[in-house]
Amino acid sequence: MKRSTYIVMAVMALLFAVSWYFKAATYHGNVMSPLVAGFMITLAAFLTLAIISFVYQDNPFYKFAEHLFVGISAAFWMCQSFWSTIVGNLIPRISTGLSKYFGQPYRDEPWNFVYWLPVILGILLLLRLSSKIGWVSRWALAFIVGTTAGLSFIRYLRSDFMEQISSTMVPLLAAGNSGESLLSNITLSATGPFVAMLTNWVIFLGVICGIVYFFFSKEHTGLFGRASRVGIWILMITFGAAFGYTVMGRITLLVGRLTFLYKDWLGLIS
Amino acid sequence: MRRQLPFILVFAFGLFMIFQYFVPHESSERAYEFLLDWTTIIGIFALAVGIWSLVSVTIEKIKLRKPAWQYSFFTLAGLFLMILFGFTAKVDGHWGFHFYTSEGLQNPMFRSFFDYILTPIQATMFSMLAFFIASAAYRAFRARNVLATLLLIAALIMMMRFNPFLGPVGPLFEKTANWLLNVPSLAANRAIIIGIGLGMVATALKVILGIERGYMGK
Amino acid sequence: MKRILLTTTFLLLLMGVASAQADSAAPSPPAPPTGVKAVDKPNDHGHAVNISWDMSPDDGKGANSVVTYDVFRWIPAYMDSVAQIRAGLSGIRDTINILDRANRKWSVLEEHLTGDSAKLANDSVVAAQRIPQLRADLKRFRQVLASAVERLPEAHKTYPENGSWRRVGTVPAGQGKYSNVGSKEYEEPDYLPDFSDFYYRVDAVGVVSTTRSSSEVSAPVHSSGQWFNTGRTTVLVFVLAFGFLTVLFVRKARAGHDLYVRPLAGIDAVDDAIGRATEMGRPILYLLGAGTAADIATIASFTILARVSKKVAEYQTTLIVPCYDPIVMSIAQDIVKTGYSDAGRPDAYKEDMVFFITQSQFAYVAAVNGIMIRDLPATNLYMGKFYAESLIFAETGALAGSIQIAGTDEVAQLPFFVVACDYTLIGEELFAASAYLGREPLLLGTLKAQDYAKAAVLLLAIVGLLAVNVGHEANVEWLMKFKELFKVID
Repeated sequence: MKRSTYIVMAVMALLFAVSWYFKAATYHGNVMSPLVAGFMITLAAFLTLAIISFVYQDNPFYKFAEHLFVGISAAFWMCQSFWSTIVGNLIPRISTGLSKYFGQPYRDEPWNFVYWLPVILGILLLLRLSSKIGWVSRWALAFIVGTTAGLSFIRYLRSDFMEQISSTMVPLLAAGNSGESLLSNITLSATGPFVAMLTNWVIFLGVICGIVYFFFSKEHTGLFGRASRVGIWILMITFGAAFGYTVMGRITLLVGRLTFLYKDWLGLIS
Repeated sequence: MRRQLPFILVFAFGLFMIFQYFVPHESSERAYEFLLDWTTIIGIFALAVGIWSLVSVTIEKIKLRKPAWQYSFFTLAGLFLMILFGFTAKVDGHWGFHFYTSEGLQNPMFRSFFDYILTPIQATMFSMLAFFIASAAYRAFRARNVLATLLLIAALIMMMRFNPFLGPVGPLFEKTANWLLNVPSLAANRAIIIGIGLGMVATALKVILGIERGYMGK
Repeated sequence: MKRILLTTTFLLLLMGVASAQADSAAPSPPAPPTGVKAVDKPNDHGHAVNISWDMSPDDGKGANSVVTYDVFRWIPAYMDSVAQIRAGLSGIRDTINILDRANRKWSVLEEHLTGDSAKLANDSVVAAQRIPQLRADLKRFRQVLASAVERLPEAHKTYPENGSWRRVGTVPAGQGKYSNVGSKEYEEPDYLPDFSDFYYRVDAVGVVSTTRSSSEVSAPVHSSGQWFNTGRTTVLVFVLAFGFLTVLFVRKARAGHDLYVRPLAGIDAVDDAIGRATEMGRPILYLLGAGTAADIATIASFTILARVSKKVAEYQTTLIVPCYDPIVMSIAQDIVKTGYSDAGRPDAYKEDMVFFITQSQFAYVAAVNGIMIRDLPATNLYMGKFYAESLIFAETGALAGSIQIAGTDEVAQLPFFVVACDYTLIGEELFAASAYLGREPLLLGTLKAQDYAKAAVLLLAIVGLLAVNVGHEANVEWLMKFKELFKVID
C-alpha cells in the first residue's frame, strides 16, 4: 500500500476515536452502555460514509464495509429463517423432544407426518455437498421447479393476461360509463366525452401496436412493420416518462441519509 | 431413472398445481397448503448449502490470494459473530442456547448489529440510487437515434413538470406529463404485461411438459 | 335526607312515566322477510351456505322500521355435546402447553433456587411428568371428537325436535343475502358439518331488538365441496387452447417444418459479447437477479444460462455467477456444470464460478458492485427478476466499461436497463431468448404458439371492443357484458 493510504487510514482512525469519545459522552439513553452506544453510532456513520465513497472510486473503506455487510447479512437471514421456519413451523409438527428443547408448544395435528417429506427432500438437497451422490439433490429442485411453474402458470394467465384483455375493451363511440351517445353532444372540453373517446382510441391502438411489436415469427414489414415501429416508439416514450418520474424520488433517498449524518451523528440540525 | 425422475416430478407437481386451481374441494386445498409449506421448508435446507458456498468461496479467495482477499476475513468474522449472537441469549441471568420465536431474536448484540450495521448500510446503498440515476440521466442525454431521442424527450417533460422557473409554460409541461402517464404509458404497459403473461405461461408450460430442459442441465 | 327522598320519588315518577310512554308507543314489529332460500355456496371447499331472501315490505319503504336482519340456523342439541368435547380437547391442549413452558422455565433455574421457589420449581417439574399421560388423553379425546362429528348429519335429521334456533349472522337493512361460512376443521368452534340438513330463518329486526318478526323456515340444504370451480371456466378454456397450440406447433417443428423468427438485436449481441470477452481475456458476469426459483423470469434465466455456459465453455472464457437465492444457486451450479461437460470441457468447471452471496438485497448489490469494479468483466448479462438494484448494477457496469445485455419482466425496472445497457430484452423477449439462443426447432415451435395466442388476443380485443360498443349503442345487455367473460371469480 502507498504511504498516502496509511495517512488517510490514520486520519480516519483518529476521527473515529474522537467521534466515539464524544458520542459516548453525550449518550443519554439506557438501552446499552454509553461506550457501546458511542461506538455503534460512530460505526453506523463511518459505514454510511464508506459506502458513499464508492461513488468516487473503489477504496479500502468501501471494501471493508462491503465484506462486513455480506457476512453479517447472510448470517442475519440464516438465523431469521432458522427460527421462523424450522423452529416455528417444522419442529412443532415433527418432534415432541425437539419442540421441548426449543421451547415450542408441540402442535399435535393429524396430518403432521406429511412434514417429514420436505425434511427428506431437504436432506437430499444437502447431499449435493457430496460429489458422489450429489445428483439426488435434483429431485428436491425438481419438486420446487414443478410446483412453482404450475403455480405461476395459472397466476399469470389470470392476472397478466386475461384481466388485461378485459380492460382493453372500452367504449370507443361513447364516453366513459355515462351511457350517453357521443354524436348527440360533441364538445371540445378536456374533460368532455370527445376527449375521453380520443383517449380511449389512443390507448386501444397503442395496445395493438405494442402487441404487434412482440410478434416473433412474422417479418416486421409493410403495415405490420409500421405498426410494430409505432409500438416500439410508444414503449420508448413510456420508458422515458417512467425514468423521468423516478428521478425525484431517488434524490429524496439521498436526503434521508444526509439527515442521518447531520442530525443523528453530528447533531448539526435538530 | 436417474435422469428421468426429476422431469417426471416436475411434470407431476406442475400439473397438480394447475389443476388444483380449478378444484375448490377441501382435499385439493389441503394438498395445496402442504405443498407451499414444503417449498419454504426445503428453502431453509438450501440456505445451509448457500452459507456453505459463501464460506468455501471466501476461504478459497483467501487461499489463492485473489484481489481484495484480506477483506474476506471481515466477511467470515461478520458471519460467524452474527450466527453466534443469533443462537445465544441471556435469559434469566444465564447465557445459553435460549430462544423463543414468539419473543423475537433477543440477543442485544444481534439487535444492535442489525440496527447499527445492516440498516445504515442498506439505507445508504439504496440512497446511492440518487447518484446513479443522475449519471444514467447524463447517459440518456446523449441520444444516439430516434428511439433514444423519444425516450429523452419524454424523460425531460417528466422532469420539468414541477419546475417553478418555467413561468406560464409550466402548466403545459404538467399537463403533457400527466397525459404521458395516463395514455401512452397505460397502453404500453398493457401491451408489455400481456406479452409477459404469455411468455410466462409459455415458459411454465414448456418446463412442465419437458420441452425446455435447459434449467436442469438437460 | 329529605332531598334523597325527593330525588328518589322524582326518579321513580320519571321512570314510571317513561315506561308508560314506552308501553303506549311500543313500535309494532316490521313485516317479516319472505322467500328465504338457502343453497350450498358454489365453487368452494364446502362448509358454507348462501342464504337469500326478499326484503321486508317495511325495509326502506312502508313503515321503514327494519334496522337489521338476523339470520338463524336450527342447531341440534347434539351440536352442544360436540362443542363440549371440543372444549375439553382444547383444555387438555392448553394444559400441556402451560406445563411444558413452566417446566422449561423452572428446570433452568431449579439448581439456583431455595425455599418456596425451589418447591414451586420442583412442583412444576413433577407436574410436567403428567404430560405424556395428557398427550395420551388428547389422542383419545381426538378419536371421541372425530366419531362424534361423524354423527352430526344424523342429528340434523331430527328437526325440529331436540334443537334450537341460534343466530349465525346479522346484516344491515337493505341487504337480502348472507353467507354462513364455517370452518372446515372440526376442532375449530365454528365448524360447519357438510352433508347435514340445515334449516334457516331470517328475522326482520326493528330499532328495539325485541321488535322482530320471523320469516318462514327455508327448505333444508346441504353444504358440500365442489370438484370444479365454474367461475374459472374461461381460464380452463385458455389453458387447454394454449396447451393445444403449443403441442401442435411442437409436433409441426418435429416434422421438420421451417419456422421463421425475426432477428432480435439483444440475442445476436450475446454471441458477440462472449467472443469479445474471450478476445480481451476477461470474464463474463451473469446475474440471475433477485428472484427466487418461484419466479418464471428466473426459470427463463436458467434456460438462457444453460446456452450461455455452453458457449462460454467452448470459447474457454471465465464465467462468474453470484447468486442471491440458495435454491437458484443450486440449480445454476448444475446448469453450468452440465454446460461445461456438454462442451467437452468438464475439467474447466470450477466450484467457485457459481456461488451464493447473501439474501439481503443491498448486501448482494454491494458485493456484485465490487466484482464489477475489481474483476472488470468484459460482458455483464442481467437476466431475470430485478428490483431497485437494476440501476446500480447497470450504471456501475457501464462505468466499468462492460458490454451489458439485460432482460427482465419487471416493468418498473425496464426504463433503467434501457437507458444504461447496450441491449435490453423487453418483457416477453426474455422468455423467448432461450429458444432464440438454442435455435432448436422444438423451442422455436413454442414461439409460434405464443404468436398465435397473441393474434387471438388481438382478435378477442377487437371482437370484444365491437361487442361492447355495439352493445352500448344499441343497449343490448349481453353484448355489453362480453368483457365479463374475462373476469375471473376468485
